Amino acid sequence: MNQRFFAFRGAAAVAIAVVLVAPIRAAGQTPSAKEPTAAPNVTPKKAAPSPKRWVPPRTSDGQPDLQGIWDYRTITPLERPRELGTKEFFTDEEAANYEKKENQRQNRDLIDPEQGGLFYPPGGVVPYNEFWYDRGDKVSGTKRTSLIVDPPDGRLPAWTPEGQKEASRRAAAQRNDQLGHPLADSWEDRPLQERCLVGLNAGPPMVPGAYNNDVQLFETPGYVAILNEMVHSARIVHLDGHPHGSIRQWKGDSVGHWEGDTLVVDTTNFNRETSLDGSSANTHLVERFTRTGPNTLLYEFTVDDPTMWTRPWTAVVPMTKSDDPIYEYACHEANYAMTGILAGARAADKAAEDATEKRTK
Amino acid sequence: MQNWFRSAIFGSVGAAFIAILWQGVVPVAAHGQAVQAYRAPRTADGKPDLNGIWEALNTANWDIQDHAARMGPVVSLGAAFSIPAGRGVVEGNEIPYLPEAAAKKKENAEKWLNSDPEIKCYLPGVPRATYMPYPFQILQTPQHILMVYEFAGATRTIYMNSKLKSPNDTWMGWSIGHWEGDTLVVDVTSFNDQTWFDRAGNFHSDALHVVERYTRISPDAIDYEVTIEDPKVFSRPWKMRMPLYRRLEKDAQLLEYQCIEFAEELLYGPLRKQPSK
Repeated sequence: MNQRFFAFRGAAAVAIAVVLVAPIRAAGQTPSAKEPTAAPNVTPKKAAPSPKRWVPPRTSDGQPDLQGIWDYRTITPLERPRELGTKEFFTDEEAANYEKKENQRQNRDLIDPEQGGLFYPPGGVVPYNEFWYDRGDKVSGTKRTSLIVDPPDGRLPAWTPEGQKEASRRAAAQRNDQLGHPLADSWEDRPLQERCLVGLNAGPPMVPGAYNNDVQLFETPGYVAILNEMVHSARIVHLDGHPHGSIRQWKGDSVGHWEGDTLVVDTTNFNRETSLDGSSANTHLVERFTRTGPNTLLYEFTVDDPTMWTRPWTAVVPMTKSDDPIYEYACHEANYAMTGILAGARAADKAAEDATEKRTK
Repeated sequence: MQNWFRSAIFGSVGAAFIAILWQGVVPVAAHGQAVQAYRAPRTADGKPDLNGIWEALNTANWDIQDHAARMGPVVSLGAAFSIPAGRGVVEGNEIPYLPEAAAKKKENAEKWLNSDPEIKCYLPGVPRATYMPYPFQILQTPQHILMVYEFAGATRTIYMNSKLKSPNDTWMGWSIGHWEGDTLVVDVTSFNDQTWFDRAGNFHSDALHVVERYTRISPDAIDYEVTIEDPKVFSRPWKMRMPLYRRLEKDAQLLEYQCIEFAEELLYGPLRKQPSK
């Protein structure tokens, strides 16, 4: 983890530099040595003005080649901080300030448990120290103030009454966790991510998170595979045009097609909620993957879940190419935390019982 | 048990292979000839095409050695979940355990229900993932070959002609591949000592070294040969061999078998809050 962590930082810095200069340089760049040797069917024009004009290489069967390992770490929040109102992009200076402030605020080692910080209340429990985090420390390449681009205020739309109920339940549960007395009568009280049933940021949809923000795309005739490092989640997307079946799954059922150079993946049939906080089994997810340059890929997704949100919403997550391989993430196999959480809760029950007994005697 | 259902859907090609392979001692020779005779379709980069959804059709996950049918561990399930007989997949049917390891194997078999990692929904390791009674899918690209197994959603990436090293021990191993003629050869190392070969307690240590050979032998079958080497457990390398069959259903699809939720009661049940007395 350590090696990976440092290797990653270097790679990310380079990648972000590439993103920042992309609008000017992208057109002139030739594919790196790691690119497949199959010749692109269109030679990039010299003076293409925007990265949108960059034409991705083709796989040997002629599809746009999105393959590679993509890093989607960023410190850009999903929702725009309220104080930024309708401001969609940071200036360079504002971005630097935001990064500095957020990296400080999110650093677990700088939180004094007595005083609280981030979302930890005073006297609460800060479970992981900073060593374990591998979140992005830079805002995304375009310096957006939020990953959400629609609604235009960069924030999740209003909850439906059902969504509000669930949001309140979740907020109360999180509060209890942070105060150190989690609700854990059984493992079923714990979120899917803690049970390793779905991956925190593996999605679908993929939303940058605390660590393991890596995904590898594979293309074979008729299929695209989306392999997330987080909880070794592999999604196999059919491109043969067959409709969604009737089987519900934790990761839903994904079918895909090409719209020009963009891969569009349509997912329904979720089992219950998705890995997204607040979503329901009724989620209809549409993801779009577009390569915007030799080392950049734009990932966009639209969530339509009329059970929970009053309108659909859309987010964009720029990804950068990584040379680091995807490693095994054996989540369930080493889920000692679940045993710890349940055993801790039973010990707390026992202590409370003993205290009651003492009082009544 | 699921094999009985699945056998019905493999179609006549599978049935023909079973007839050839299971009816006698000849198969190795017959098999070998088939390997040479068949020329597999190619991928765009000119390699034999292993893409597809494949599945073993045998009882190796019960026991990789010869075994007679016997009663299953749950009385109330009677004939429905008992153990089918099967010819072994081990070459010569003998596994060369070192003496202490042989004792450990016996103990594993006796404590199967408490010890088999499959029951806990742990990543099954290699080669067991290949012959569990669930399909797996091969997605073959020139540099990376992805294998996704239905059981526990296990995955592994085969790095072709690579010198990449695993930074740590793993459940599914670290796979480096190359082509030898029409055979995909995969060298797998960096295992932990937590996975088994079957439900009969056959096991290995973290010194396990697996070499797999995948060769297309017909439009719908792969010859799968595995060499197992583990000097801490076995006195010499030994081999397993079996055909893998293509799932021919028009809408064949790898589905989720997210078994964690089927193992949680077993793993955490005693820590569930009991109704107060």
